[in-house]
Amino acid sequence: MLFIFGNGTLQPVLVAALQLAMDEANETIKAIRTGQVEAMVVNGENGHELYTLKTTDQIYRVFIEKMTEGAVTLNSDGIILYNNTHFADMVNLPLSQVIGMPIEQFIQEKGKEQFYQLLERGWKNDCRGEVEIVSEQYPCVQLSLATLNLDQGFSLSIILTDRTEQKDNQQQLRLKNEELEKMNYALDLSNNDLQQFASVASHEPQEPLRKVQIFATMLQEEEEINFSAHAKEYLNKIIGSSKRMKQLITDILNYSRLSAGENVFERTNLNELLKELLTDYEILIKDKNANIYISRLPEIEVNKGQIRQVFQNIISNALKFSRADEAPAVLITARKLELKEIDSPQGDNFCLISIKDNGIGFDKKYANNIFSLFEKLNAKDKYEGTGIGLAIAKKIVEKHHGIISAKSEEGVGSEFVFIVPISQKRIDDYRLW
Amino acid sequence: MVKRRILLADDDAEDRVIFHEYLGDRADITLLPFAENGVEVFNFLETAEGDNLPDIIILDQNMPKMNGRQTLEQLKTSGKYAGISVFVYSTYIDKTLVEYCKNLGAASVVTKPITRNEYHALMDNCIKFLKPATEVVSA
Repeated sequence: MLFIFGNGTLQPVLVAALQLAMDEANETIKAIRTGQVEAMVVNGENGHELYTLKTTDQIYRVFIEKMTEGAVTLNSDGIILYNNTHFADMVNLPLSQVIGMPIEQFIQEKGKEQFYQLLERGWKNDCRGEVEIVSEQYPCVQLSLATLNLDQGFSLSIILTDRTEQKDNQQQLRLKNEELEKMNYALDLSNNDLQQFASVASHEPQEPLRKVQIFATMLQEEEEINFSAHAKEYLNKIIGSSKRMKQLITDILNYSRLSAGENVFERTNLNELLKELLTDYEILIKDKNANIYISRLPEIEVNKGQIRQVFQNIISNALKFSRADEAPAVLITARKLELKEIDSPQGDNFCLISIKDNGIGFDKKYANNIFSLFEKLNAKDKYEGTGIGLAIAKKIVEKHHGIISAKSEEGVGSEFVFIVPISQKRIDDYRLW
Repeated sequence: MVKRRILLADDDAEDRVIFHEYLGDRADITLLPFAENGVEVFNFLETAEGDNLPDIIILDQNMPKMNGRQTLEQLKTSGKYAGISVFVYSTYIDKTLVEYCKNLGAASVVTKPITRNEYHALMDNCIKFLKPATEVVSA
């Protein structure tokens, strides 16, 4: 189609004429864009001049030739009418040989059925799909199909995007995931085994142990009159040891139970929780002449029973390891933090709880050891205990996605600090940690 | 004085002897012949006439053939013996066992006593548990 303009000089007379010229210009641009115009003749100062759109055409030709995607155009029989160099590279043939060949020749046998379906769809609607082509370097490609209505009739253009690397990555990711799943499974199994072992190892010995306790107390209660002072002393040692053994087994069981099962968290008022706890300790606190100071503590989301255990274990340590020359004093305070760090700025995400005492303390080089199972810094004849209390406290704090630490000075006192999230739900929601 | 009839099922011979040793001379109870497992509990119940049925059954949890909670379940679903108070005792108890047995209708789940005092305390609790029920029956 040819558009012929007027004489090219516009008389500045009527706005209507300007409007008309503007509409004409817009129409021309639209015609150019949609490909209806191939050339224009403009009557300029040098007479009629022919402007073709070859230049634009060339840009796209070069672009298609240079791009790193393969491009082919097919006729309705699936014969390649045109292709770019990259496609020839993909199938590893000289450019001149590819034109005229049926496209199906480059499709892997096993995917042909799928490819025919894709072609059929492509002739009706523009679409995409993945196929494997006969190519060493780029076997896996994504096809974008679009029909074009050109002068020669309809043709189907296909852009081939290499997906081999993505596919490889996906494959590797899948393999790694499978591996991970297997490892998780194995870990689960071994965890279960361990759990079961801990359970059996702590359950079964309780039967004979109870018998030792029964008959030892029976001797003590029924036959003591026949015993020498020495025999009585030995008997007391047997009873004391078996009691300790029993406590040890119970503690191990409690510790191993912590590993099992999901945690149930609820919003808890720590001041109320501590009030309850201290009621249970009333007699011991009175006996020890101890003072316990508790500041205002926040409400946080915890497993109530477990956090109670943490406080209980730390406070009972404070009472146990008190100095002979001074009445025990325990100070419990809290502050809210932004981050899960001791020196974090104030915030609303975490809660730091400090439990400070004026007891015998310990050498700071043991500050990490004390949270290990069975770690005891003091002789058992001076201070009774199984060495599990702080290990349990650590495990519980960790189950609350928190951290625990201790610092101390010998002869001055210790401070136990743990930081736990204020809300556990947010942790699950955002998987922040 | 009402003498409560107590049936103990425990496969551990020593525990049966100790039970008898510590509780045999209590004036407020009559110890029925011991059973060694759940099957023997039912054998006893089926031969016992109405008046001879126990008021209290104490079941050890770990027994061969039919353990404590299996016996408890069968007792409570039997209809005939569902009214008898059942206590389960074991060397070690955990929350799961306690909840399981309570749901089945156990009066209580306790750890096995060690000292004479603990044995008496167990029996006191068993009898205390019975009292309200008896009053309702006599009223």
